[in-house]
Amino acid sequence: MNPYVLTTLILSLGLGTTLTFASSHWLLAWMGLEINTMAIIPLMAQQHHPRATEATTKYFLTQATAAAMILFASTMNAWTMGDWNINQISHPLATTTVTLALALKIGLAPMHFWLPEVLQGLSLTTGLVLSTWQKLAPFALILQISQNTNPALLTTLGVMSALVGGWGGLNQTQLRKLLAYSSIAHLGWMIIILQFMPALTLLNLTIYITMTSTMFLSLKIMASTKINSLALAWPKTPTLTTLIMLSLLSLGGLPPLTGFMPKWLILQELTKQDLPITATIMAMSALLSLFFYLRLCYTTTLTTFPNTNNTTSPWRLKSTQITLPLTITIILTLMLLPITPAITTMF
Amino acid sequence: MALTSARLLTRTVHEKWICAHSLTLRPLVCINKAAFYGEYRRPGQAQDRTPPWKKIRFSFAKGVQGIRKHFGLLKDEAMERWVGPQGRPLIEHMLEQTRVQWEFRGPESLEQWLVSTDREIGGRSEAYLKLGRNDSACMLYGTLCSTPPRDGETCYSGYCTLRSRQLLSSFDRKKNIDWSSFNTLYIRLRGDGRPWMINIAAETYFSHQKDDLYNYFLYTRGGPYWQDVKIPFSKFFLSSRGRIQDNQHPLWLDKVSTIGFTLGDKADGPFQLEIDFIAVCNDRAHTEEFAYEMYKRNPEV
Repeated sequence: MNPYVLTTLILSLGLGTTLTFASSHWLLAWMGLEINTMAIIPLMAQQHHPRATEATTKYFLTQATAAAMILFASTMNAWTMGDWNINQISHPLATTTVTLALALKIGLAPMHFWLPEVLQGLSLTTGLVLSTWQKLAPFALILQISQNTNPALLTTLGVMSALVGGWGGLNQTQLRKLLAYSSIAHLGWMIIILQFMPALTLLNLTIYITMTSTMFLSLKIMASTKINSLALAWPKTPTLTTLIMLSLLSLGGLPPLTGFMPKWLILQELTKQDLPITATIMAMSALLSLFFYLRLCYTTTLTTFPNTNNTTSPWRLKSTQITLPLTITIILTLMLLPITPAITTMF
Repeated sequence: MALTSARLLTRTVHEKWICAHSLTLRPLVCINKAAFYGEYRRPGQAQDRTPPWKKIRFSFAKGVQGIRKHFGLLKDEAMERWVGPQGRPLIEHMLEQTRVQWEFRGPESLEQWLVSTDREIGGRSEAYLKLGRNDSACMLYGTLCSTPPRDGETCYSGYCTLRSRQLLSSFDRKKNIDWSSFNTLYIRLRGDGRPWMINIAAETYFSHQKDDLYNYFLYTRGGPYWQDVKIPFSKFFLSSRGRIQDNQHPLWLDKVSTIGFTLGDKADGPFQLEIDFIAVCNDRAHTEEFAYEMYKRNPEV
């Protein structure tokens, strides 16, 4: 792509998210979301492969629908309550509509059907942007309206997302789809705690972004998009293979890795709020997700498959890819649990 | 008399109003599906204007049978999730290096295939499918005739095709085949020396992609010996409605729908093709990703 065009698109992505962060008016927030959508569309369709254009079209349709619903709900609230302020949305129908619209934007169940297919059609870099950066702006709005949303709706969305994310990812052999279902499950955890402690949602989002970035960057370095090719990655990058295993266990929420932190704090908060059944269901759904993470660890690192590589021993040349972001995200993915008290004071 | 002529005049005016507004009213009243989906209609054939409710053939027994069948399939799908991908343990998926996808070992195997010729557009070719000797292979045979139909529109004719049926899961949802562990198509066949074309259709979601096919040539050697054909998937090129596309892309193997064989070599006369099985395999020696140039044409300065 022309570097000027690429720069414009990336800066537009930043502009859209910043605009949504900075806005207190629904119209400006909607504009930021639309700028984000429009900016990422050319990046997604860069490849011109039929599957890439299919993914781009699906993404555009879902995001445009969600944006139209947000506009409709905010206009309805302004008409009935006379207020365009984001955190003053109080009309019940408007609140429900905007919650569902934002759920469609980020891919919460039952509005999740687009996410695996879209992610499967994209390159790993664009998939990384879609899974991380594109979630920030909708979450900024979700956090601002959290006090006015229907608690039952949030609980339903959260539990359903955790279950669907675990169930859907069970037999995936394509890694991008697997990470899409992982994303849905993590979003469920973020939403379930939103009504009780929005700070935990923000913490979970930050840690999720770190862990997902680790996974996507690792897969990019290994150039693997299937379980089969990941299973053959051990002679190419043995250290990264080990770190991928630990990152997957962190995604699964196992102590003493970073991923345990949000799950622990959320379960603790749910228990404090006298919701033991919800906490149990969430913990059990995490087991489903953990199953496919463990399966990935098993095939990647813990076993050596008899499948042969194309060469007997691949040359381990110095990589030309930039590895600094991966280095930082891996350290954050694996080592933040001991400083949980310091992190919780930041949120 | 005056009353009759007044009624006639009114009716005529009313009819004239309907005719004048038919262009705007008709799309609102009845949606022309053929216009939306680009369905082929033979020249000279009248458009099917039967309203949808008249096409319903209600049968209670068939409905109950359908419910039983589809819920059974749904239950199987739910249960096979506990086993592994596509209902097999993951270890099988990981270690698989060959897979026979279609083989012809009994009459039920012929049910998975569709035969069609240019007879649908008014041509005179014929094609039939039957099981070979000892139920061990299928034979596609017939006669090709390239005389175009005399409808004033069609210029070319003379083809026949054998295509696998789209696999369906519960509630008639499309099911795709995952060939991502493989990189080569392997067919054991015996032809009559004619050149065929292999068409692989991948899953397409939007209507503008529905005619996208990935093609490659199949040159058969006539003779008593069976022929083992190995074609890497990297050799398949993209075409749409029979036209090879300028922008070429490799075939993505995670969602394959159907495979087909087409004969259209403009040689009138009988033809015959026997297929033993169609399989896929993983040739570790084949490292090519795509055989055709994907460079950017007309690069920006």
